[in-house]
Amino acid sequence: MLGVVLLFLATAAVLHAAFSTYEHLSHLKAIGRPEGSLPFDIVVEAVVALALGIIGASLNAPTLKEISWSAEMRKRSIDEMDSRLGFASYVNRGNSLFAKPPTL
Amino acid sequence: MSLSSALEQLAIYRANNVRASQETFEHASVILKSAQQLGDDGWAVLEQLFLASVDIGRLDVADRCLKQLSDKFRDSPRVDVLAGIRMEATESTDVVLQYYGQLLEADPANAAVWKRKISVLRRTGKIDKAVEELSELLDTFYTDVEGWLELADIYTTCNRYSAALQALSHALLLAPQNPFYVLQFAETAYTAGDLPLALKTFLVVVDMCERDLDSPADKPPAGISLRAWMGIKLSSRRLMVNSHPSPSNTVIPKNLHLIEELATERVLAAYSSKGRKPEGRDVVVRWVGVA
Repeated sequence: MLGVVLLFLATAAVLHAAFSTYEHLSHLKAIGRPEGSLPFDIVVEAVVALALGIIGASLNAPTLKEISWSAEMRKRSIDEMDSRLGFASYVNRGNSLFAKPPTL
Repeated sequence: MSLSSALEQLAIYRANNVRASQETFEHASVILKSAQQLGDDGWAVLEQLFLASVDIGRLDVADRCLKQLSDKFRDSPRVDVLAGIRMEATESTDVVLQYYGQLLEADPANAAVWKRKISVLRRTGKIDKAVEELSELLDTFYTDVEGWLELADIYTTCNRYSAALQALSHALLLAPQNPFYVLQFAETAYTAGDLPLALKTFLVVVDMCERDLDSPADKPPAGISLRAWMGIKLSSRRLMVNSHPSPSNTVIPKNLHLIEELATERVLAAYSSKGRKPEGRDVVVRWVGVA
C-alpha cells in the first residue's frame, strides 16, 4: 500500500518537474535569454521524485521466492514426481467409482 | 472458487505433472461454466479436462472435449494420442493396439504413441513385451526420465531389484538434483538387501533435502527427509546387528552407532511437536526402541 502511494507521488513529482522545466524554458525564450540554467528547486524536485520512486518500487515488488533446489523440492510430493503421465493407465476403478450412476 | 484461481491451479497441475483427476475435473468445470474466451491456455485446459474425465469415468464430458480438440487441430499427433486414450477406455485391447500400430507405422518416432502402446501392454499383462518395447524406446530416447522410472517400476513389481537399480541410476544421471529419485534408489537398494548402499543413499537424500537450511538441528525433519531418516535408522540398526556384504562393494561408514543415534533423535523430533501429541507417536517410539 505504502509502495503504491510512494510510486504515485514520485510519478506526480516527475511530471510536475517536467512541466515546470517546460514552463521555465518557455519563459526564458519569451524574455529573450534562451540559455539560462534550470532553477535549483526543479532539480531538487526531480531528485526527490527519483528517491521516492526507488523506495516505492522496492516496497511494491512481489514477495521474494526461494531459489535453492532443496526449497523447491520441499514443496513437491512423491505422487507428482512419480506420476509418469505418459504411461498412465486410464482403465482403472475410477471409471466405476466416479461415473454417473445409471438412471433406473 | 474464482476463475483465475482455478486457471492458476490447473497451470500448476500442468507444470508439476500432477494427476489429481477429481480436482482437475472440478476446477475445469468452473472454467467451462464461465464460458469465456481463454486463448491459447484454453486448449491445454481442454486436454487436461479430457484426461481427467476419462480417468474418473465421465466419458460424456471426455467425448465433448475430444470433439472440440479434433475439430480445431486436425491431423495432430497429440490429438491422435488422446483419441487412442479414449479408445482404451471402452474398446478391447486388440483394437487399441492395432490403432497404435497404425500410428507407429505412419510415424515411427512418435514417442507419445509408443508410450501408450507400452502402457496398454503392461496393463494387459504382457510384461516381457512391454519391457522389450520400453527398452527399445529408451535406446532411442535416452533422456526420457519418465521412461526410466517406468522401467524401474516394472522391474520392481517383478522383484528384479538389481535391474530396477540400473534403470534408476540412469534416471539419477538425467535428473541429478531430484531427491525423490535418490530416495527411490535408496529404498530399492534396501529392499534388494544391499544395506550399505541403502544407508549411503539415504544419507545423500538427507543432504540434498536439508542442504539449504541454516540450522537443520532445530527444525524437525518433514516430507521425504523424515522418510530418509527412517531409512537411515532401519539400515544402520540392521547393519549394527550383523554387517551385510554389499553386492555393490559399498563401504560401511565408521561411526555407525553415532549415525544410528542421530537418526533416532531426528525421527523422534519429528514426532514430538509441542502441544497435542502427534498421531502415531507411540508406534514410532516403540519402533525406534527407546524405552
